[in-house]
Amino acid sequence: MKPLEGLRVIDLTQAMAAPFCTMNLADMGAEVIKVEPPGTGEMTRVPGPAQKNGHAATFLAVNRDKKSLTVDLKRAEGIEIVRRLAKVSDVFVQNYRPGVAERLGVGWSDLRAVNPRLVYCAVSGFGGTGPYAPRGGYDLIAQGMSGIMSVTGEPGSEPAKSGLPISDLSAGLFAAYGVLCALEHRDRTGEGQLVDTSLLEAAMALTVWESAEYWVTGEAPKALGSAHRLAAPYQALRASDGWFTVGANTDKLYQGFCRAIERPDLASDLRFAARGGRLEHRAALIEEIERTTAKEPRAHWLARIDAAGVPCGPINTYPEALADPHALARDMVVDLVHPGAGPIKALGIPVKLSETPGAVDRPAPLVGEHTTELLRTLGYSDDEQRVLRDAGVV
Amino acid sequence: MPALDGLRVIDQTQVMAGPSCAMLLGDMGADVIKVEPPDGEASRKQGYQLAPDVSAAFVAINRNKRGMTLDLKQPEGVAVLKKLAATADVLVENYRPGVAQRLGVDYETLKAVNPRLIYCSISGFGQTGPYAARGGYDLIAQGMSGIMSATGHPGGPPVKVGIPIADLGAGLFATFGILCALRARRTTGRGQLVDTSLFEAGLALSVWEAAEYWFTERTPQPMGSAHRMNAPYQAFRTSDGYVTVGAANEKLWPMFCELIGRKDLPDDERFRTNALRVKNRAELQDQIERATMHQPRAHWLERCERAGIPAGPIYSVPEALDDPHARARGMVQELEHPVAGRVKVLGNPVKMSASPPVMRKAAPELGADTDAVLGELGYDAAAIAALRAKGVV
Repeated sequence: MKPLEGLRVIDLTQAMAAPFCTMNLADMGAEVIKVEPPGTGEMTRVPGPAQKNGHAATFLAVNRDKKSLTVDLKRAEGIEIVRRLAKVSDVFVQNYRPGVAERLGVGWSDLRAVNPRLVYCAVSGFGGTGPYAPRGGYDLIAQGMSGIMSVTGEPGSEPAKSGLPISDLSAGLFAAYGVLCALEHRDRTGEGQLVDTSLLEAAMALTVWESAEYWVTGEAPKALGSAHRLAAPYQALRASDGWFTVGANTDKLYQGFCRAIERPDLASDLRFAARGGRLEHRAALIEEIERTTAKEPRAHWLARIDAAGVPCGPINTYPEALADPHALARDMVVDLVHPGAGPIKALGIPVKLSETPGAVDRPAPLVGEHTTELLRTLGYSDDEQRVLRDAGVV
Repeated sequence: MPALDGLRVIDQTQVMAGPSCAMLLGDMGADVIKVEPPDGEASRKQGYQLAPDVSAAFVAINRNKRGMTLDLKQPEGVAVLKKLAATADVLVENYRPGVAQRLGVDYETLKAVNPRLIYCSISGFGQTGPYAARGGYDLIAQGMSGIMSATGHPGGPPVKVGIPIADLGAGLFATFGILCALRARRTTGRGQLVDTSLFEAGLALSVWEAAEYWFTERTPQPMGSAHRMNAPYQAFRTSDGYVTVGAANEKLWPMFCELIGRKDLPDDERFRTNALRVKNRAELQDQIERATMHQPRAHWLERCERAGIPAGPIYSVPEALDDPHARARGMVQELEHPVAGRVKVLGNPVKMSASPPVMRKAAPELGADTDAVLGELGYDAAAIAALRAKGVV
């Protein structure tokens, strides 16, 4: 048994944030029904630079374990299908710009009238209320407006964002959290509700240390490359053949680190003896450390520093990270076979449940793969289905 | 009534990943009891101090929790924890694997006390696998998961994501896992072990990057502010700084070209499709900036907004927190701390119509609720005094 078995989720989502929310629910056993336009399907199915046999990586990566139902939402018969589905579902997730779902007739008030127990989740750029609500928002825009870009990169360099779309991904995770909390409320009271989150708010909620620093110091936190705002040495260090990371953020770990690189003088240097001093004299400290670490290769240092019990690691490329023995031992890479793309790989589930674990079982669906099955479940007869198909509604 | 009202959570965590998980449960109304060693958890003393043992970092991530002290190195302390676990739904810990066993408060032990307990462990690398015993921090996980290899500028020194995304991602996945386990418990009647890590969270967030590598066999590179699969989608130079613009799809791209007075660009062979624009991104940026350089940020932002093209400023953290929309969405909250006075904290990013998140109280003072919690567990005044005399609480 998977933990969310028996939960039915309608997925009217595109691109990344909300599809990532419903993908996580699907991995944990929910029946997630992706509603897509007939014919071409969701826009991210259009093959871009990364694809196999015409199947786009962008779609495959965040839609595994889901079912696909094609419905033309611009047709009344199409909206009727979604409403019938909403009647027998637990959760509805959409990430249109605010106002679009309402215009189509699948807004919260529309579906709540059909099923008062429904948990309705809207993920947008800026949320359903407030002055920027109608604006379109992408991960990039949210990273810029949340302050994340201002603290990422080398000091003084051109703007850099988190290489990963963390506003999208965290909005998806916060949405999943909101949905599951709303289900707790529903199971107690019988009442569904609107769960409303956004890329901007998700990104801001991640600026925990940075906002705290600003509120105390009154100054804007700066970009620090790979370093930590409150601890040193805690950053990438130069070796003879590249870089590696070390996090020696306590006195004890710092002493262990100095022993591991055989620099007892740094351990006893008065400038660096206390945490505050190491932070204040970070540039001098790193210069001294790299004078030693630059002489030997990464593997040399990682073996020694790890043996001393000090957290450290390589800076892996993705080919390295995805082939790492620990990543594989933790099932973070899963093999699937897609009917069109053939054998493909997918990321595993990062949270392991001992009794009712989630699992990545199926690749992303083909366009409309489950339309017939789902229409039958909703009580559409074969004749009615034929009419819908002929009219291009499904 | 908040969504998780009535849920009791033992928060036996330190620093960031674990505390952020327990905080998210507390925001939704769970009774989160932070159990700290008698001298307090490490982050109380780290960084900027608002008052003795009240660091800004601790206040930022421990709101909506009660606090008690407990010396788990004494058998009486472990006995109290077991009593508490018997009354709890969830326990969250983020020790290095092995430490909970050594203290005698590991999953197997507490499961015997309370089979319905959901026990969540957050660590650097997870409870199993070759690196399980290693210490892991956000930085280490960002490096090993590939995130650092895809962040920053090509050819530059290594850069991590400026916020601790592996820590926070692990906290979010842990929260998700706990809520899933709670649903499973309705059916099975039993709790379980929920096990996640900073390293795995970093990998699980690498959705586009893993896909790019697996589908193209190219190694994802750092791209500054740009997108791996879409263009134009990045920061562009103006006469007084940078703005971000996302205009990669076939509808927005020609609109954006017209807006910057470069109607010729959509017909340019190099930029005809998104795939071509990604391939020729450097030339694309050059052509666009030839236009955007001549006017200030406000000019372009105002025009993009009117045209419905997603665009925005690159705010500093103070600007972000002061933005009228962020304020309107309640992203800045104030709480009364008994010693530090009024403190600001970030709001919860999820808005709910029927059972919204709550902001009940600032981070607890060390041991503020020890007596209350012990009282709820049935310890009388004399028993509490005895525990205190022995330094157990």
